[in-house]
Amino acid sequence: MSDRLTGLVLLALAVAYGVTASGFETRFGDPLGPAIFPLVLAIPLGLFSLYLIVRPDPEPDWARGRPLLKQALTLIVFVAYAYVLEPLGFIVATLLGVAALGWLLGARLWQSAAAGLGIALVLFLLFNSLLGLPLPAGVLALRG
Amino acid sequence: MEVLNSLAYGFSVALTPFNLLMAFIGCLVGTVVGALPGLGPTNGVAILIPVAFALGLPPSSALILLASLYYGAMYGGRISSILLNIPGDEPAVMTTLDGYPMAQKGEAATALALSAVASFIGATLSTVGLTLFAPLLAQIAIHFGPAEYFALFVLAFAMLSGIATRNPIKSLIAALLGLVLSTIGTDPQTGIPRYTFGIYKLYEGLDFIIALVGLFAVSEFLFFIENPGAMHFADRPLGRVRISFRDIRFSLGAMLRGSGVGFISGVLPGAGASLGSFVAYTMERRISNQNDTFGKGDPRGVAAPEAGNNAAAGGALVPMLTLGVPGSGTTAVLLALLISLNITPGPLLFQQHPDVVWGLIAALYVANLMLLVMNLPLVGIFARMLAVPPWILMPGVVMIAYVGVYSINHSIFDLLLITGFGLLGYVLRKLDIPLVPVVLGLLLGGIMETNLRRALSISGGDWSILISSPLTWGLWALVVLMLGLSVFFEVRHARRQRQLAHAEVPD
Repeated sequence: MSDRLTGLVLLALAVAYGVTASGFETRFGDPLGPAIFPLVLAIPLGLFSLYLIVRPDPEPDWARGRPLLKQALTLIVFVAYAYVLEPLGFIVATLLGVAALGWLLGARLWQSAAAGLGIALVLFLLFNSLLGLPLPAGVLALRG
Repeated sequence: MEVLNSLAYGFSVALTPFNLLMAFIGCLVGTVVGALPGLGPTNGVAILIPVAFALGLPPSSALILLASLYYGAMYGGRISSILLNIPGDEPAVMTTLDGYPMAQKGEAATALALSAVASFIGATLSTVGLTLFAPLLAQIAIHFGPAEYFALFVLAFAMLSGIATRNPIKSLIAALLGLVLSTIGTDPQTGIPRYTFGIYKLYEGLDFIIALVGLFAVSEFLFFIENPGAMHFADRPLGRVRISFRDIRFSLGAMLRGSGVGFISGVLPGAGASLGSFVAYTMERRISNQNDTFGKGDPRGVAAPEAGNNAAAGGALVPMLTLGVPGSGTTAVLLALLISLNITPGPLLFQQHPDVVWGLIAALYVANLMLLVMNLPLVGIFARMLAVPPWILMPGVVMIAYVGVYSINHSIFDLLLITGFGLLGYVLRKLDIPLVPVVLGLLLGGIMETNLRRALSISGGDWSILISSPLTWGLWALVVLMLGLSVFFEVRHARRQRQLAHAEVPD
């Protein structure tokens, strides 16, 4: 089923991709222009996705229940990290991020918070101070 | 003797204190990354590439750093294979077959020492092969025109499809997906934006480094969180690591044969180190298994695959440096680094950037010596690394990847993109669609398109130019052969599965 669904999605992608490509205009001196390579890709992609629909592999073992929830939470942590990195600064954001990820991996909260503090400080010193790649200081800059 | 002169020049580049430091850091990080289960050479290079890039290292130093890491990961992979029966990375799978039984017999220290020597011999011999063979191939490749290059790229994907996964169609789909992604952005020849959906950030195209970090590092974390039990670390007491001359002599044949086979499978585009260790082990078992000792802790069963995967790592650099076609996932990443640094790989590389090529080759000899020294007396320290709890290690690794990517452009959009690619990588891997062709497609798409369009504008739009020279006939014949072989193996495999299923169900 998953393979059939993937095949359908890819088939739709191939058609949309190819149709969009044929709209790119051709210029003199470049006989086939920017459309040709996408068309060369769209045709086999469409054919192979038909194959997936007709002859799918056995169903993969998708995550269910708690692991799936944990994965969703992990993705939320990653997205949130991107948004809080600059406002909160590298040290605070990384502390929170590692604490959350470590907790999702089964550590106690104080353990993963300690790991977060350690990793945040080590990486900040390594990148910001030793390698000279500036990282956002965020809320901690106000104190300094 | 020209080769010796070039090599001497290479050593003058590689032996500067800064480049020695780069090689040392690469070896150290590589061994650690290789030793930790779940993190392979591709992940290691993927995590460090943004850092190397953000630091603005000169091309030769960046390449030395990452190639040393690549070699180091090949050494490191064996440690957890032998001690825990968990391969540290994919090429080290074969090492578990006899390495872990040796550890169970109390010979873990011998197995580690022997495999370090085997790794050294394999890597050194293949570096010699690279030194001699690469300039020759570069001379042939000078005659390649755009049509030949286009066929060569197709061949690389065809080879990959035969080896990377069980279902060759899925591997081809993966390659096409990567190529499709590579067309996003402004067309370099006409300036027309393609598939950007009006998003300003996409006009420059998808940054290869970001796709790579997301597909490998982030998706690995998602896999790990789904099944944390797959990677339980343990601390085991380890005796003094010593090696006797007799042990080496007993396995010397296995090491030499493994090196030869490994080097050849490395040179084949798309095959890589996993194939090298697999073929080396299978062949050695066929030759040396008279007393049925293989699989029960035969030292030759450790020596052969370790020599094989290290030799393949060197071999994989041959097509990457001479043709610009990577021989494995990790060399694809190294290739991306070169392209990002505005260095065009291919036959002209040897003339235009001798400091990069020969500096790299010389640095590999140096890195090998460093790795041998690190992996004989210090292997106990690396083994202790396996005791670091995963809830410290995995978030730490992911954070290095995020910091590295952030440091390149200071862009929040990039951080969101790697998360998106992480999810995509996870879903693709679950569907058994391999990631290496995706990466390769994204990487080679631009050059492939340029060559196709250049060939067609030479011929005025006549497609027959793609099959107009004996060289192209040869390349297309190989493409057909590789695809035919992979379909053949797939059909045979499916038939066997069906027979097995029938045999198990009594009616």
